[in-house]
This record gives sequence, C-alpha cells and structure tokens, in this order.
Amino acid sequence: MILIDRLCYFSRLRYVNAGEKTAFSVLTLLACILSRSAMIGLFVLAATGVLTVHKGGIPLARYIKLLAAPGAFLLLGTSAILINVSRTPLDAFALPAGPYYITGSFEGLMQGQRLLLTALASVSCLYFLALSTPMTDILAVLKKLHVPALVLELMLLIYRFIFVMLSLASDITVSQHARLGNFSLASSRKSFVAMVSSVFILSIRRSGEIFDALESRCYDGTLRVLPEDHPAKLSEIVGIAAFELLLYLAVIFLKQSGGAR
Amino acid sequence: MTHRQKKMIAAVTVCSLAWGIAPAANAMHIMEGYLPVSYCIAWGVLSLPFLAAGLMKIRKTLDENRRALTLLAMSGAFIFVISSLKIPSVTGSCSHMTGTGLGAILFGPCTVSILGVIVLIFQAILLAHGGLTSLGANTFSMAVAGPFLSYGIYLLGRKCKLSRLMTVFLAAFLGNLFTYCVTSVQLALAFPSQAGGAAASAVKFLGVFAPTQLPLAVVEGLLTAAVVVCLEAYAKPELKSVGYLTEVQAYGKEA
Repeated sequence: MILIDRLCYFSRLRYVNAGEKTAFSVLTLLACILSRSAMIGLFVLAATGVLTVHKGGIPLARYIKLLAAPGAFLLLGTSAILINVSRTPLDAFALPAGPYYITGSFEGLMQGQRLLLTALASVSCLYFLALSTPMTDILAVLKKLHVPALVLELMLLIYRFIFVMLSLASDITVSQHARLGNFSLASSRKSFVAMVSSVFILSIRRSGEIFDALESRCYDGTLRVLPEDHPAKLSEIVGIAAFELLLYLAVIFLKQSGGAR
Repeated sequence: MTHRQKKMIAAVTVCSLAWGIAPAANAMHIMEGYLPVSYCIAWGVLSLPFLAAGLMKIRKTLDENRRALTLLAMSGAFIFVISSLKIPSVTGSCSHMTGTGLGAILFGPCTVSILGVIVLIFQAILLAHGGLTSLGANTFSMAVAGPFLSYGIYLLGRKCKLSRLMTVFLAAFLGNLFTYCVTSVQLALAFPSQAGGAAASAVKFLGVFAPTQLPLAVVEGLLTAAVVVCLEAYAKPELKSVGYLTEVQAYGKEA
C-alpha cells in the first residue's frame, strides 16, 4: 500500500525509543540546513544511510530508489537556479541565443552543488525517521510536545482512514479495470470521476457508521490506546549526543572559517 | 450520464490530448532542506494565523455537533487519497491533483487549512512529498493560499451568477495555478537570480514548472467540476452533512 509505512514496521530500529529517533533526525536536519555546506551534507548522508540501511535493515536498493523520489523537483528547481538568461554572459558558461545569453556563474554552480547535497542529506534525515518510526509512535512524541489534543485525534483518525480509503479506491479501480473501464482515455477519465465520487460518498457514509460504533463504546473525543513504552538506553543517548555535538561543532567551525564549502 | 456530463468528459479528453505529454510528477511540494532556515520559519509564522482560525472553526463545529469529528477525519483522508491518486493521462506519465480546490469548495477554506497541514505532514513522512522544514512554506502555498483563493473565486462566481460548472472549474483551476505561482515566488525569494534578482528568478521558476503545472491545473479544474456534478446528482444527503448543500440551495434560489 504505502511503501514507506510498510517498510518502517519491518525496521530493526522500530523498538528504539521514538523520542530519541525524532530528536536525532530533527537535530541533524537542522544542522544540514543551518550549515548549507556540501561537506556536512555528505557526512550526514553517509551517517543516516548507514543507520537506515545497516542498522535498520532497509534494503539498499529500496533506499536508493526512495532517495531518488524527489528527484524531479530537485532537477527542475536546481536547474532554475543554475541557469540564467541575461544580456551579459557570466563567468562559468554562456550559450548565445539571439541578443541574450543562456548563462551561469561559478558562484551559482557552487550554490547549486551545495543545495543539491543539503537537500539530499535533509531528505535522508526525513527517511531515517520515516523508515524507523511508525506514525503512531510519532504521534506519541507530538503529544509529549503538547500539540493540541484535537489535532492529534484528527491525525490518528486520518491516518487510520487513509488506509480504509486507499483500499476502497484500489478495489473500485480494480473492478473498473476488470470491466475495461480504462479502455480509452475518455473512459478512464470517466472511471476516475466515478471512482472519486463514490469514494467520497462511501467515506462519508462510513464515517457516520464509525462514529456510531465509537459512541456505543463510550467515545468521548479521545481514542485511548495503550502506549508501548521503549525506554531510552543510556548508550544510545550518549551516542546521539556525541554525534550531534560533533556535527554542530563542525557546523560552527565551517561558519567561522569563512563561508560554507 | 446526463448530456452535460458527457460534454464534460469530452472536454476533458480533448484537453488532455491537446496537451500531449502530460506532467511527470507532482513537483510542486518544496523539498525537504531546500529552503534556508529563515524562510522556513517566516512562512511557518505567516501560516499560523490561518491555522489558528482553522482550529477555532473546527472546535466550534465540534461543539455544535460531535459527529463531525469522524466526518472531518474522513475528509482529511479523502484529500490525502485524491492527492496521492494518479490522474489518468497519456500513457507512461502520471500526475496528481492537489485536491485542495475540491476540499475548499466542499468543506470551506478554514477547515481545509487544518486538514491540509495534517495531510502535508503525512505526505512528507509517508510519501516523501515535501518535508518537515519546508512544511511552513508548503502549508502557506497549498493549505492556505490555494484553498482561500479557490473559495473566494467560488463565492465570486456565485455572486456573478456564472454557471455552477464554470464556477467550480474556475475555482479549482485558479486555485491550483495560484498554488504554483506562490511556490515559485517562495523559491524565487529564497534564491534570487544573479542576473536580475528575485523577479527574474520567479520568472525562471514559473517557466521551469509550467510544463508540468499548467496542464495539471486544467485537468484538476475539469475533474473537480465533473466530481462536483456527479456528487450533486448522487450524494445529496452526504453533501448536506458536510454543509455544502445548504449553500447550493441558497445558490439555486439566487440563480
């Protein structure tokens, strides 16, 4: 169904304390975007890669494929930063096109390269969290951070309903395909509209039924789930603290020594 | 299938064929780690008032009717699901709706802002669309700017007594387009061009994303209109329960 969600339940890091994992990935993420340096990016990419693939046991091929997922945005966005159109050529490259030049500068190239690595490293931090921590554990962490209870309740219900509706949508699509509903482009558009409409109708009907079922079990606005407690280990805390200290010292050093490289 | 719906679907087909190569992916979520820290925070702060308003609106709705809770959750899941479904387009390519236009028309923009931010968090964690640091910027463009504009256009269309089909199409189409423009401006402000500054940069980002986003906006508009027509034909009680049908009735009287 949802690949990342399925993988994270199989991760060997799943039963590590969720607060630790969240703190690690958020702090590392911040270090990446604070420094915006290629070196920090490479270092973080390696560290999270080792943690996710080696420690977590996510297959390497899968991990690389997932990292390439935001590629379209990265490619388009970065090319817009690298390439300029102007009347005066810049220093790195310049292709004449009529009275204008399609051109770029070395500074732009450096910026693009730093951006590329920073973004990839940040995505790898996000993946470390997503591929090791199920959504319910993340919600428990958010609860400790005092996110409004209403929002958390909505998040929990939405998370559950996403799977209900995805299977609804895929069932309908399968039966549409079985009846050649995707025969031509026109018929597949028609099928898509019919599918979205019936998913809407069914989901609203079902939400009423679910509320009835909940209320008959004394639902008062919060689903109380027994939290699984996985206490943080001292060795893990020390490890994370040492890693972050090193990382932030490196960030500060790079900033001090003039310009992130 | 009414005559009108048939015409609608013909229009969708012609349009998609005319655009030929359809978009590659939904590339408009700003990626994790792409924006500098100051911009991440600034966009987050800008969207906060809208989120607060949304939360208050939802609280009020729930005080009046507790049953709305599961309904709201289903609506959130609905937005997530339609934004993760592939729109059928020319073979070999796929694209996604933003779904916020439809959401804003059905549920109202304040509610959609909260549902939108939750959906964006799920999209970041479950699908790696967008990210945690770019959450503020994405929230502003997709959960605030797009839906509010869509809803505004929807109200305006009602005022001007346009046909409902046209109104819904314009609302979804312009909402999607506006999201794309806001995202381009967000990127341009963070990465001003060396030749020409932020304005030139905005033009570049608009240009780079145009081939994927323009056809997508048209397709989203047409599909949203078709879905709304379909729902009005078959789902009167359901629409009433989300508070849409009362508007439609009022609209019918006006027109």
